[in-house]
Amino acid sequence: MPEEKVSLDVTNLDNFIYDMSRCIKCKGCTWVDHIYMPGVKFSTRCPSATRYQFDSYGAYGKMRIGVGIAENRMDYSQKLLEIMYACTLCGACDVGCKRNLDLEIELTLEALRIKLVKEGKGPMPEHKKIAENIATKHNSLGAPHENRQKWLPQEIKPATKADVLYFVGCSASYTNPEIAQSTVKILNAAGTPFMLMPDEWCCGNILYSVGMIDEARELAKRNIQVVKDSGATTLLTACAEGYRMWKVDYPKMLNISTADLGFQVVHLVEYADELIKNGALKLKYPVDLRLTYHDSCSLSRLSEPWVPWEGTRGLWGAVKPNLERRRGTNGVYQQPRDILSAIPGLELVEPIRKRENTFCCGAGRGTKEAFPDFALWAAQHKLTEVKEVGAEAVVSACPWCKNNFAQAISKNGDKLKTFDISELILASIGA
Amino acid sequence: MAISKDAYSVLESIVGSEYISEDPVVCEGYRSGPGGYESGVGYERVMTRIPGCIIMPRTTAEVQKIVKVCCRYQIPYVPYSTGFYGPRSHPHVENALLIDMKRMNDFEIDAKHLYVVVGPGLIYSQLQEEALRKGCYVVVGGGGAQASVIANLIGDGWSPLSHRIGLPHRRILGTELVLPDGELVRMGSLAYNDDPFWGEGIGPDLRGLLRGFTGHRGFLGIVTKMAIKLLPFQPERLEPTGISPNTTLQLPEKRVKWINFTMPNKESLGKAMFEIARAEIAGAVTKVPIFWRVIARSSSKEEYWELWSKENEETIANFHVLRVMLIGFTSEEQMAYDERVLMDIIGELGGEARRTRPTDESWIKNADSAGMWIMCGGYVSVDYVIETLEHAIPHGENYAKLKRNYTPPLMPDYGDPGWFQSFELGHQGYSEFLVYWDPDENTDGVDHFYLETSKENIRKRFYTSLLGSHQPLYLTGPSYGPNYHKWLLAIKEEFDPNYVCHPPVPLNHDLFVERAEWMRPMKDWEGPEIKPGNWSY
Repeated sequence: MPEEKVSLDVTNLDNFIYDMSRCIKCKGCTWVDHIYMPGVKFSTRCPSATRYQFDSYGAYGKMRIGVGIAENRMDYSQKLLEIMYACTLCGACDVGCKRNLDLEIELTLEALRIKLVKEGKGPMPEHKKIAENIATKHNSLGAPHENRQKWLPQEIKPATKADVLYFVGCSASYTNPEIAQSTVKILNAAGTPFMLMPDEWCCGNILYSVGMIDEARELAKRNIQVVKDSGATTLLTACAEGYRMWKVDYPKMLNISTADLGFQVVHLVEYADELIKNGALKLKYPVDLRLTYHDSCSLSRLSEPWVPWEGTRGLWGAVKPNLERRRGTNGVYQQPRDILSAIPGLELVEPIRKRENTFCCGAGRGTKEAFPDFALWAAQHKLTEVKEVGAEAVVSACPWCKNNFAQAISKNGDKLKTFDISELILASIGA
Repeated sequence: MAISKDAYSVLESIVGSEYISEDPVVCEGYRSGPGGYESGVGYERVMTRIPGCIIMPRTTAEVQKIVKVCCRYQIPYVPYSTGFYGPRSHPHVENALLIDMKRMNDFEIDAKHLYVVVGPGLIYSQLQEEALRKGCYVVVGGGGAQASVIANLIGDGWSPLSHRIGLPHRRILGTELVLPDGELVRMGSLAYNDDPFWGEGIGPDLRGLLRGFTGHRGFLGIVTKMAIKLLPFQPERLEPTGISPNTTLQLPEKRVKWINFTMPNKESLGKAMFEIARAEIAGAVTKVPIFWRVIARSSSKEEYWELWSKENEETIANFHVLRVMLIGFTSEEQMAYDERVLMDIIGELGGEARRTRPTDESWIKNADSAGMWIMCGGYVSVDYVIETLEHAIPHGENYAKLKRNYTPPLMPDYGDPGWFQSFELGHQGYSEFLVYWDPDENTDGVDHFYLETSKENIRKRFYTSLLGSHQPLYLTGPSYGPNYHKWLLAIKEEFDPNYVCHPPVPLNHDLFVERAEWMRPMKDWEGPEIKPGNWSY
């Protein structure tokens, strides 16, 4: 069999025909890892397959539909768009598949959306509105750009020059200022000088997620240049989606390695964990809560650094040169748990599905905008798990998760509380 | 529109609009291939069709109504639990209704009386966890942790743990079956009351029904409920550890442990299996294909091939590893006693214990069948034999010889005799022969090998469990009966004269040979004019 050239370039669906055509319907993408299978309840990790139930909504269905798209057999119907976009791209399918088969499911799903946009069929109308917001107001919410730094407390004075640049993101700038405020107060308490971008724009997470890669790539170039111009060596964010965007998707779109960005990308939990462990931050005030930690997808199973790869695939599907697959093994799982466990009075209980098996909150990657009912359903489903383990609150490390949980709690009329981890760190250090 | 508007409306009224679809995109998502068990080969390409409509019932009553509508409107239908079992669990005719059973995932455990009643949507790892919590266990079949319990038991799924337990269908205590005309029949203990404990009942012996035709794939109706025997386990927790892909169950070593032994030759390996069984010790005893061990050691497909390329005929011929799992069912002392007996047996036969990790990755809860595809991308188990150990061991060796003629396209395995082990404490022997190929190569040889193994079984008098749907019925029927095929067809025609239920099973492989031109030269048996039912194939 002749070797064929292949790469991880998501702009060419042909790169993923092998992955689509080797899906075996084991549904490892949908089920919780069988070793961790908790029984009949909470046994799945794919929100789309769990909500819509038809196989077509699971990765196994999408892979088959994807082959049909690659072979030009499919009509680009409304149902096709719905199936491709009613999906949180949460990566559960990807790590599930790589438990046994090592197929590139997440990249395939991204490539399919890019193909839909290229063909003029995608994204969903709601996404186009967001793209317009970003183009005109530099944020996904359509909020006035001039209000972007309104969240900044008067008493906090960012440095004009520092090693650390805090990228706030649209959510923390506009809808969740408490996260941005907590973050800068934590940095301040640790004595870490930090900068803000003089003119921060959206990271482009939704643009990339829905397949608008050209627009997302332009933002990536612009944002990376701003960081380089600032002289910062560390880009810090408290948003999981933003974190993945900077760490994984920017390099992916630009065909470079994460290591070649020219600065390191860290999430607040990584940074704070180090500050706590080296004594720069003291968690001294008790937080009397029994809570559970929600692994935000983009901070956990989707956060491993990006390394471009191209080579050949030959007999048995083996590739050359060696491909280090991103399997979600080295996601940011432990640091938030270490932080929470170190807070006096706080009782951390694990959810039934945790780490790489976590059930996504449902908000990310364009889902909340185009399929708000589905997003809310996913959050409600997750909250039943939170209640099942007897937690009073759920804490995450992403404003998208916090927002979606908050809305689900409100709709349910639950007594549950939801926090961002930055708020709890702040409460415990007492700054 | 695949089915008439009238029929669709009636079906929709049964399950609600959320659980039925004939949208072409939704149906495409149910395509059998191109990947999967037995996919990418001729059978899948020639025989499978995309369903014309999907419906997802929640209850047995809904299934009955759906089937009755199918009979009334003459809609061919196929029950489908997880879809993992490849092309044979997918429609073979145009415009079929696929009845997706995943919503029927109810279960009820009675730990005191050691049984569970399950629906077809329940999978093994779910059930195993529920059972372990109550101090019981089930044998997760080699079909995998993701397999529907009911579908796998109909297909007679087994595992190394069958050493102690024996044939899976013996654990079926009762079955609820929606017949092809929509009527309900209950078999075993479910035949006369709601107490599944006893396993016997009036009416046909369900175990005989299953033994007679492994893997009926719904051609005699749809199993909507099954009562299954649970087995008492030891009380310690098996702790899940690790992060994907390296997840495993940490075993409580005084109550559960695997020990691998190197045996001096294949005779001593077979003898050890027999003696262990005769001593009535151990929870699992098996000899697995060597390439499975290489899969377990590899971190990627590429590493697998790097390691496997170092093997050759000689290393494989001299590799005799026996895997034994000890379980302290009643106490630590019982397991310690079993271990002493085991060591005596192995010592007398010249074997040596190897260092073995105190974990289980692949049999107790997570039967890792999905890992079978990592090597080549194409896989099927061409045959299962259940007879005696003396019978089972040569079966694999014989197949290995035959396989040389079909390598390539089959993966080079240097004469590995496959998987064999004792069943039911040595009263039976088991052999399973697995083959792998690259689906991007010409796979005609895979189809040929599959059929040739049926002939080899007849020539060499191996008792196969895969009569019927996996082999041409008119090839195997006259030899395994005699007139087995006539009986089977008579039963089919009695219950489903119009072949509404999963047509053309059980004549599917006969039809495949007729339709695939590269198969026809192999046909040296008399067969019927085949076109069961009035369907567009």
